[in-house]
Amino acid sequence: MNKNVQLFRKWWGLLLIGVLLISSLSGCGSQEKVLKIGYITEQTGVDAYVGAASVPAMQDYVDEINAKGGISGYKIELVVYDTRSEVPDAVTVAKRLVDQDKAVAIIGPSWSSAGIPLADIADAAKVPMVATTASNVNVTVSEDGTLHPYMFRVCFIDPYQGFAQADFAYNKLGLRKAAFLTDIASPYTVGLHQFFKDHFIELGGEIVAEEGYTQGDAEFRAQLAKIKDAGADLLVVDAYTFKDIGLAAQQAEALGLKVQIMGGDGVFVPELLEMAGPQLEGAIVTTGVTTDSPDFAEFNKAFEAKHGTQANIYTYYGLDALMAIEYAIGEAAKKGDVTPTAVRDALETMTDVQLFTSKVTMEPDTHNPHNKPLLIMTIKDSQWVLTETFQPK
Amino acid sequence: MELFIQQLVSGISIGAIYSLLAVGYALVYSVYNFTNWAFDGFMAFGAFMAFTGITSLFMPFWLAALFSIILTVILSVGTEKLAYSPLRARKAPRLFMMISAMGVNLATVNIINLIYGGVFRKFPIDTLQPIFIKGVSIGRMDLMAGGISFGVLALLWVFLYRTKWGLGIRASSIDIMTASLMGINNNAVAIVVFAVTGVLSSVAGVFYGIKYAVFPMMGIVTIKAMIASIVGGLGSLPAAILGSMILGILETMVSGYISSTYRDLFSFLFLIIILLFFPNGLMGKSSGEKL
Repeated sequence: MNKNVQLFRKWWGLLLIGVLLISSLSGCGSQEKVLKIGYITEQTGVDAYVGAASVPAMQDYVDEINAKGGISGYKIELVVYDTRSEVPDAVTVAKRLVDQDKAVAIIGPSWSSAGIPLADIADAAKVPMVATTASNVNVTVSEDGTLHPYMFRVCFIDPYQGFAQADFAYNKLGLRKAAFLTDIASPYTVGLHQFFKDHFIELGGEIVAEEGYTQGDAEFRAQLAKIKDAGADLLVVDAYTFKDIGLAAQQAEALGLKVQIMGGDGVFVPELLEMAGPQLEGAIVTTGVTTDSPDFAEFNKAFEAKHGTQANIYTYYGLDALMAIEYAIGEAAKKGDVTPTAVRDALETMTDVQLFTSKVTMEPDTHNPHNKPLLIMTIKDSQWVLTETFQPK
Repeated sequence: MELFIQQLVSGISIGAIYSLLAVGYALVYSVYNFTNWAFDGFMAFGAFMAFTGITSLFMPFWLAALFSIILTVILSVGTEKLAYSPLRARKAPRLFMMISAMGVNLATVNIINLIYGGVFRKFPIDTLQPIFIKGVSIGRMDLMAGGISFGVLALLWVFLYRTKWGLGIRASSIDIMTASLMGINNNAVAIVVFAVTGVLSSVAGVFYGIKYAVFPMMGIVTIKAMIASIVGGLGSLPAAILGSMILGILETMVSGYISSTYRDLFSFLFLIIILLFFPNGLMGKSSGEKL
């Protein structure tokens, strides 16, 4: 046998014994107060990028908390379970977190189809859960309108963007006559449309045209000619795919329709610029968070240097949820009682708490963050430019 | 009035694209009595070949268009030789031909998807500014597309009605067995019919790509052309053009004056009513002379 290998084995053996000794010693140490925070995420399967970009950042943050002596003396342990990007697995690991690990709070999931069944588990076990990017309305409020008392989220719901867009268009841009071109077959676009419309009218704006189309359509001139005729000064394109807003912009130009064009985060993709950059010059697309934001530049660099992977929005929202729970544990500890229910109560009443992406105030009746800021991306010289962060009043 | 004329202009330009495709369906249907579902894929193939010609092979537009036409004709005739002709030789029912066509279509679209990816691409050609006449915008691209569409259709008409080859195809469309007994070469007719289909789908694909975008699923629009050729009267060329114009204008008018949300609902309701009164389509003949 090679001598080097023998030597290696010897040292390896010694090292193992050392590790065992140290770990057994620490076990005998003083009784430390440890709280487990569960994290349900995707580490394998189609959405594995979610876990890859969020788990290291969250573990770093937990290490930081513990290095500073924990939250009010409580050390934190992050228990991460993989869902394999499947709903049944998400349910299994959620049950494991509440039954076996006795987690004080749970982070996740990132998608609504898992968020909806998990809300029932959180309610039944009375353990608070903070969803990261599950944006469907029914994650926190069930279809019959009743609130899931133990389910929260840190992202905004899909249609909220429509509300904030209307606020921005009316109050900031001073636009008064809005027209819609909406994909009528997707709940996402119909929600955006409805929330925009309701709030725009509430503010005193006028809806001059409501035109629709269905996915797969490529011809919008009939609708756009009508919108031009109606004298709109704002065209809201509620599209699920970027192709639709790109084609609408090209055809609007061909018809001589010159209005402010606005779209939601569904079309916030680089490919849109290649397709219709010049036609969309000056158009506004809104989104909740972007890795391009200068606020995150330093964090992104440090994260990539340390972990060799790029941060994405799941990194940010994962940290948001973790920080919300950190705050809630701190509040519960102040009252002398860190139970899942006390953490839940603190989450429900959190007001203006600085999280990773923004300050958050939880709406007690919906468990959605209240008036989250909206990022206004403007297309300038066929590039996305973050022109402002807009906070609806 | 301005709005009405604008909608009419848009409707005609949409109808022109439908026409090219509807004529392709009508041609194959009138001779072989089956719907060539592979048309959808041929159209996307034509658009992607022209796209590749310009972006990867650095061809000027006219050369890329020619390149696309040649390759689409090869694909169309190849499909006839490999997928349709053997079935006809074995006297397979027409339904089997349609299934075979669907298979070819799925394969074509998926291969395009595999090679190019499912993204939407802008056709790499400078878009010309439209002409404005009293506030009504008329796209130069639409004029060109309309002009070339009708030019191609006129050439096809001359070919079918003024040449010996055309006579052969028309004879075959009435009765393919008798025609072959009269000395018309069935195989040659098949090649010509599918070559013409290839030209039509390539031209339609290129114009559709320029006007909208190039993407693997772009051929989905052929379903509208299929409907147009049924409403006009299946198997007849002028009827296919008439049906296409009616559908194009109807869609824009419904969007413009009734509801864009319910455009398809109202448009197709109207078409069903037409078919109730004209079960063979507006210009359709139940039997006898076709084309």
